[in-house]
Amino acid sequence: MREDGRRTRIMAAVTGEGATAGADGLVQRLCRFAVDEMALSGCALVLMSGAESASVLAVAGRHARTVTGLQLELGEGPCLHAHAYGMPVLLPDLSAESANRWPAFAAAALAAGVHAEFSLPLTVGPGGIGTLDLCRDRTGMLSDEHMADALVAADIARDAVLYQQYAPGGPGLPELLATAGTDRIVVHQATGMIAAQLDESIANALARLRAAAFASGRAMYDLARDVVERRVRFDD
Amino acid sequence: MTETGAGRPVWPGDSGPGGRGDEVAREAVLARAFVRLADTLASDFDVVDFLHGLSADSVQILRAAAAGVMLADGRGGLRLIASSDERMRLLELFELQGAQGPCLDAYSSGRTVQANAADSRARWPVFAPEACDAGFQLMCAVPLRVRTDVIGALNLFRGSDEPFTGTELAIAQAMAEMAAIGLIQERAARERNLLASQLQAALNSRVIIEQAKGMLSEYLTMTVDDAFNLLRNYAHYHNRRLSEVASDVVDRRIPSAALGRPHGQHF
Repeated sequence: MREDGRRTRIMAAVTGEGATAGADGLVQRLCRFAVDEMALSGCALVLMSGAESASVLAVAGRHARTVTGLQLELGEGPCLHAHAYGMPVLLPDLSAESANRWPAFAAAALAAGVHAEFSLPLTVGPGGIGTLDLCRDRTGMLSDEHMADALVAADIARDAVLYQQYAPGGPGLPELLATAGTDRIVVHQATGMIAAQLDESIANALARLRAAAFASGRAMYDLARDVVERRVRFDD
Repeated sequence: MTETGAGRPVWPGDSGPGGRGDEVAREAVLARAFVRLADTLASDFDVVDFLHGLSADSVQILRAAAAGVMLADGRGGLRLIASSDERMRLLELFELQGAQGPCLDAYSSGRTVQANAADSRARWPVFAPEACDAGFQLMCAVPLRVRTDVIGALNLFRGSDEPFTGTELAIAQAMAEMAAIGLIQERAARERNLLASQLQAALNSRVIIEQAKGMLSEYLTMTVDDAFNLLRNYAHYHNRRLSEVASDVVDRRIPSAALGRPHGQHF
């Protein structure tokens, strides 16, 4: 199938009857479409400009939010890599050698029941605005057809987010962003507080927070909450 | 391109010497011109350079005396962007075509326009005598068009009254269409890049503002909400963007104590 035909078919599937206007609804349905049509467990659309700003804009199916969250938590993984280098990262078997680039991520994803992860960058010129992440609870590569569909779905998602500001009646960019990734706010605030406590850079403060969470086996969010609510200090 | 039999001119109607060497040389020039026309997505793309190239190539390939490209300016008018030479008389001719002339006709109709001296005096009574005084007998304009989207026109002049042949017009149209496709793609790419950088800035500033709130709340022992108010007031008082002030705070270019000091009534 030619690319034009593919784009038309997917657009028809995600803008059909009962569809609401605006990019937020569209990307949500794109994720749903990906899960249903590409035999996936889950799909997530992540916006980012550098690892710290990553936030989940839409999600469908199982595991997808967990897998993306894990990468933000650990500061490593396929979606951060796909975004940074502007190329897809395809991990058809997380227990195999290829996933050992990110051992902490691979172990945590396997523990959560995910066996394959595919991250496609939303590229714009030389840079990008995020990734479309697909996961499966079994090993195996995407078929050629599913891969082609996924690449076109990523293009549609990118355009929907970019042209959001001009969509009549849809939410503007600030509203769109307000719905994405609010759960990271407490981590950013805690990072600033730790930087002040240690008189350190933001990057070092974040590394300290991440390391402390990892060492204690707690979620970064929980530890960050304790910092913001002044139950935990880093300069004691 | 027509077949190239021995001694046969490449372009029918070509009245030049038309030897085999000329044909090959022209084909090479044409091929290079099309490669240049396809190259609009390079990082150092410049629209004026690009259209200067189109003007110069069309003069050489189509045996014109002068050429220029006018683009629609977004308010329905046409503006000269590039011409094959910078003679004042030629530039004035393009200036006139804001009101009447082959460019305006090609742009508004989306069709190729060609007229000799006699025809042009009847069609464009103000423009034609000026063109004649400048030494041009024959004038032609080809729309820069992609499907129904017309973005400007390529204007060609000859000193003689010899009309452009059908093949020459076909080549001119192909070059103009190629240029239009390239320009439209480049505009779309530029717009996407701009939108993407706005989105990236919004994503980044969100993070930095939260970090600055946390840092201030720790240094000044206050809630994050109070820290946010301090940031906002400081930005307002100094007439700066909130995200810039936040960035200066987390990088310690603005000491946190400076935000804690009262700086007058500034709400």
